[in-house]
Amino acid sequence: MSEADSRAPNSMASRIKGPQDFYGGLALMGIASFALWAASDLQGTRGFSFGPGTVPRMAGVLLFLLGAGVAVSGLLVNGAQLQRFSLRGPFFVTLAILSFSATIRPFGLVVSALLSFFIAAAATHETNWKETIVVGILLTAGCSLLFPYALGLPLELYPPILR
Amino acid sequence: MMMADVFSNLALGFGVAFTPVNLLLCLIGALVGTLVGILPGLGTIATVAMLLPITFGLDPVGALIMLAGIYYGAQYGGSTTSILVNIPGEATSVVTTLDGFQMAKKGRAGPALAIAAISSFFAGCVATVLIALLGAPLTRLALAFGAPEYFSLMVLGLIFAVVLAKGSVLKAIAMIVLGLLMSMVGADIETGASRMAFDIPELADGLGFATVAMGVFGFAEIIRNLDPDAQMDRNLVQQKISGLMPTRTDLKESTPAILRGTALGSLLGILPGGGAVIASFAAYTFEKKVSKHPSRFGTGVIEGVAAPESANNAAAQTSFIPLLTLGIPPNAVMALMVGAMTIHGIVPGPQVMQKQPELVWGMIASMWLGNLMLLVINLPLVGIWVRLLRVPYRLLFPSIVIFCAIGIYSINNAPTDVILAGLFGLFGYWLIKYDFEPAPLLLGMVLGPLMEENLRRALLLARGDWTVFLTRPISAGLIAIAAGLLALALLPALRKKREEVFVE
Repeated sequence: MSEADSRAPNSMASRIKGPQDFYGGLALMGIASFALWAASDLQGTRGFSFGPGTVPRMAGVLLFLLGAGVAVSGLLVNGAQLQRFSLRGPFFVTLAILSFSATIRPFGLVVSALLSFFIAAAATHETNWKETIVVGILLTAGCSLLFPYALGLPLELYPPILR
Repeated sequence: MMMADVFSNLALGFGVAFTPVNLLLCLIGALVGTLVGILPGLGTIATVAMLLPITFGLDPVGALIMLAGIYYGAQYGGSTTSILVNIPGEATSVVTTLDGFQMAKKGRAGPALAIAAISSFFAGCVATVLIALLGAPLTRLALAFGAPEYFSLMVLGLIFAVVLAKGSVLKAIAMIVLGLLMSMVGADIETGASRMAFDIPELADGLGFATVAMGVFGFAEIIRNLDPDAQMDRNLVQQKISGLMPTRTDLKESTPAILRGTALGSLLGILPGGGAVIASFAAYTFEKKVSKHPSRFGTGVIEGVAAPESANNAAAQTSFIPLLTLGIPPNAVMALMVGAMTIHGIVPGPQVMQKQPELVWGMIASMWLGNLMLLVINLPLVGIWVRLLRVPYRLLFPSIVIFCAIGIYSINNAPTDVILAGLFGLFGYWLIKYDFEPAPLLLGMVLGPLMEENLRRALLLARGDWTVFLTRPISAGLIAIAAGLLALALLPALRKKREEVFVE
């Protein structure tokens, strides 16, 4: 489906009246196809009894049709243009989440939370590092008290060497 | 006889709610809710998801009391910023800005805040009584339901959610179906076969509900708020608040508006797919329509504050009715409450009302107490709340990211859950950019297992005959209503009306 628009981007793009819905619908069809493929090895209906694959396949087909409907309406009806995606925000927030999950086990909450806080703060150019460092330390201290002590959740606070 | 039942049930509930621990949890929930309501860019759904792990250590009643407090507390908080600084902290108080801020501009912020609080409290009281009254009969009805009726009821609920949601009907249905698909990842309930899990051990138990909610609502919202074009206007006008007390004319003018708002809100809250947002819009529009001077709306009339504020609070509370009696969450926040109950090993539905009455009635009683607390504490604290608005987003958002990450991690002590939530955050950001509503997705995900189970059971008992949904009278009625609603929503005339309501 992406072949058509890469071959003739200009003529296609001018004919798509609602690009947001058109590409959004195509993406849903893609997700549905993926789900149908993922559920293809599951047992289907036997006699009157549904197998584990029956309902996922029904939902997959339904989603595919709905996605097609959204895409067609995007093709025919005037609608919203594509919105711009920014990169900085998603990049640093995701990086902060990844760094948290990578460091929480080996280094404990204090190191992990502080590091991830600073990475997340880099997501906007507005960040004033002096105040961010202060708030980061305060937040880490607060969380170190709240989660393991006040709420009694089993979280390691420090790296193994210091335990 | 029935009245006696209601009283004994409420007495039981107040007994539970009046323990010191539960009173404290109720207060914490209400305060956190107010805080969330005030801070724009931090929604109710994200907060409830964020605080789910915190409630693990509590007993089930306490956990639900606190989470419920967050939900209705946010309705109070949202109105405060709407009135004082023209920034709705919550989607539910968007319409309150129209007349509330105009009143504040005229130096009447005090009466506006007071009327908002009073109307919320009144609506909260009525809704509490309503839950108590309707709880038992609806539970009895629910117990008579078989698998086909349950399935049809859920279809109706989802259709309601679609019809009342803003934006494209087709896209909303697609989101529900995507949610259903996502709910099917993991072990099959009947055969135990692994479905769409790709032998990844973390997916074997299915996608965690809290993980998805936190990603799609928490992380995605943050990423969205960081977009250059989403920078919120934070140049606030500091208003001097003088004279909290409304005048006698204020009270006289707002009383009928409060009554109508409460009635409309209660009704829309019970309907699946309803909830506080649509209730506040509907109440404002309705009030404008019945008013003798509709042209004055938008210039600072007190009815324009009283009606939506009573409606959103009434709806926030009556939306617990379908959850508690039928086990069906009517909106995304209630879906998270299901998540909270499941974590504590409670399967929501009519059985809960019968087997654990102290849980249900304790929560209902706590709602009334929470509303009272909000009325008493909120007005004096207005100054502090407004000062909180000055916390810059550049410090707020990394804190939320870390708090969410720790929260998700602590559910299963699994770092992969955090990564999954991050991925769903990116997916949620994509959804926002393509104008897909994430709330129906969450609803579909929660209802998925219930729907599949009832569909399979119904068809097995009917020997594969799909007409079973149309030959059983209750089920047929529900399906007919659903089909009618869907047809109405797709009709162009009504579509225009819907848009009007949301444009206002």
